[in-house]
Amino acid sequence: MAIKLRPVDVAVIGLGAAGGVAVLPLARAGLEVTALEAGTWLDPRTFKPDEIHNNVRGWPSSVQKANREVPTVRRSATSATLPRGTVHAMMNAVGGSTLHYWAQSWRLSPWDFQARTKAIERYGAGAVPAGSTLEDSPLTYDELEPYYDLVEHEIGVSGKAGNIQGKIDANGNVYEGPRRREFPMPALRSTGFTELMAGAAKQLGWKPFRPPAAINSEEYRGRPACVFHGFCSRGGCHIQAKNSTAVTTIPEALKTKRLTVVDRAHVTRIVAGTDGRVTGVTYLRGGREYFQPAKAVLLGSYTYENTRLLLLSRSKPYPRGLSNNHGQVGRHYFGHWVGYSNGGVLGLFPFDLNVWYGTPAQGMVVDDWADDNFDHAGLGFIGGANLHVFNEMHPIQSASMDTFGRAPAWGSRWKSFVRENAGRWTAAHIQTSSFPYEDNFLDLDPAVRDPLGDPVCRITCGPKDNEMRTFEFAQKKMELWYRAAGAVEVVRRPMTPPGVSTHAYGGTRMGDNPETNVVNRWGFSHEAPNLGILGASVMGASGARNPTLTVQALSWRTAEYLAKNWKQIAG
Amino acid sequence: MHEEEKDQGLSRRGVIGAASLIPLAALGAPATKQTFQDRHLRIIEAFVDRMIPSDEHGPGARESGVATYIDRSFGDALAAERPSFLAGLEAIDALARSKHGAPFAALDPVEMDEILTALENNESTGFSPDSRTFFYRVRQLTLEGMFGDPFYGGNRAFAGWDLIRYPGPRMAVSAEDQRLREPIKPLRTSAANRAGRHGH
Repeated sequence: MAIKLRPVDVAVIGLGAAGGVAVLPLARAGLEVTALEAGTWLDPRTFKPDEIHNNVRGWPSSVQKANREVPTVRRSATSATLPRGTVHAMMNAVGGSTLHYWAQSWRLSPWDFQARTKAIERYGAGAVPAGSTLEDSPLTYDELEPYYDLVEHEIGVSGKAGNIQGKIDANGNVYEGPRRREFPMPALRSTGFTELMAGAAKQLGWKPFRPPAAINSEEYRGRPACVFHGFCSRGGCHIQAKNSTAVTTIPEALKTKRLTVVDRAHVTRIVAGTDGRVTGVTYLRGGREYFQPAKAVLLGSYTYENTRLLLLSRSKPYPRGLSNNHGQVGRHYFGHWVGYSNGGVLGLFPFDLNVWYGTPAQGMVVDDWADDNFDHAGLGFIGGANLHVFNEMHPIQSASMDTFGRAPAWGSRWKSFVRENAGRWTAAHIQTSSFPYEDNFLDLDPAVRDPLGDPVCRITCGPKDNEMRTFEFAQKKMELWYRAAGAVEVVRRPMTPPGVSTHAYGGTRMGDNPETNVVNRWGFSHEAPNLGILGASVMGASGARNPTLTVQALSWRTAEYLAKNWKQIAG
Repeated sequence: MHEEEKDQGLSRRGVIGAASLIPLAALGAPATKQTFQDRHLRIIEAFVDRMIPSDEHGPGARESGVATYIDRSFGDALAAERPSFLAGLEAIDALARSKHGAPFAALDPVEMDEILTALENNESTGFSPDSRTFFYRVRQLTLEGMFGDPFYGGNRAFAGWDLIRYPGPRMAVSAEDQRLREPIKPLRTSAANRAGRHGH
């Protein structure tokens, strides 16, 4: 029997990138908020400059919920499930994966919001990828811009604006949508390698710039500037210069005394009443089961767990899962087609690059081949790629290098090769526009269960022509860029469709039409009016860049809408 | 291909196993119990020695404690993988006995390399799921032990980091440490020595 707790105004499920932001506008509005987080507080003094701990062993934290619920993957509805991974891409902690992410804090391009309409306008009706379920977002860039701005200043983002209210600055991204003002902090400093790549890009007639990062380039709100120690990727920041929600919005919300954080809370179901409204959340903690009644629930776990929790939460009004009477939960899912190890482009240089230290967001990028920034006539795809080169290389990673056909994989000749070259190669990060398709989706795995006996999430995601062509195009541009910078060898690795991804979209898509979307333009369920959903699971297109800032802007907006319309939504 | 092997003085059949186990106990990191039996450890030592031999460019995987790293890993972080790894070690020994009538660790380097090449090319049977997977698992663990933090028992005397000119973890990095081409002064230190800041 669940222990019934005292009712609160809002229960937030998950305190990562999304929920960790949403609690702040709620608490500031005076609502009583209880946040249920599967993980716990992690102490920055325990964060280590240690590749084995962080990268090889995936930063084993004290709570292993996600790792026990790793989704299964198959390439089509008729193909077998692939061997299942043992480490989830995301982690459980207060702050979630913003503790160890690369902190690249991009706004999507205005094109991404209306990709369907704009592709048809410029290239004709046939331009929309065959079989895709792409819809325009119900929001425009301009509608989300104030929230981008708000979050950038609340958490702290470094960067250089390329477009302030229409005024273009070539030191920033000239392709970006207009910003109301400059970034709160200047961009992270350049390095020898990123300057080399900037020079090469300019030679090619491209427009390189330093990418935005939720990492302090100078002291910000009492937290210090980054010291570039080089253990940022899947590592926590020991000086709190990386602006995870654990050091920004969550502590701010706690100051209001309206937020209660319940850590080690393993949420098992969202409960609905006979009238179709949600009544609260059931969770396990310390071997006991609790029921937390709430007037509104915000679900912000992660794309896979958002879908799974809804499908597991069956009730009389929702026999196929909460908010799934239109059969849309799990639909319009897609992983981001990102090239790095899978599908990466590697360059080997004839001199030491010294990219050991720094952080991936301390990089150089070009958007000349992203979004709709170039003419796609005859190319056979829409969208494009952001090309990103960067710092931070660890020793095991560097020695695990491709030998570029110049040496065997072991023995003395290999040793001699890595001795010369381990510090002379780099891999680009290529993020392409990715879209939803009719036959890519999430559901519950019929065979694999978590330790509680609940089915895990199953990903069905196969290859798509639009994305494969975009990728091939982008890899060739990346090779050009490396060669222009003096690379003596370049390898373009084969690309396979994304599996369990840190950039996972859809499953609870946002849109005006309840027949094809789970949440409305404010992020609230079309079916359960007091259930809001946070995270990239509401996004309908990826853009060619990292999702987190968009997730955070949308989360803020959904939470603010709830606070401003409290009586109407909470009843 | 592996010209240096004649100079090792360790390549005589029967000598390797006994001699090479001695340094395992003499490490800077906290003493931990050996988790594999000696005969399994001898296979690991011989295998990693062929992956990264000692030569004119410095110590190899054996001298750098890579077998210690692997032994300790299967005692904690990789405990769940232990049965399949042991099965792989048994399979490689069975292969050596059937081909050469001696355990793998007692073969000479040319014989070892023949066996390892066959594993790498996925030409050997008796491995689950296949010999190539096992080969690359050991190779991966060799790289971890050679180039990972010495705290875990490998990379002894920072031999791995010196080999590739990795200048070591440091708490703050200046713009000068991020220039092209310029050598960076190595800080030979383990993350474990960052007491109070980055302790294990």
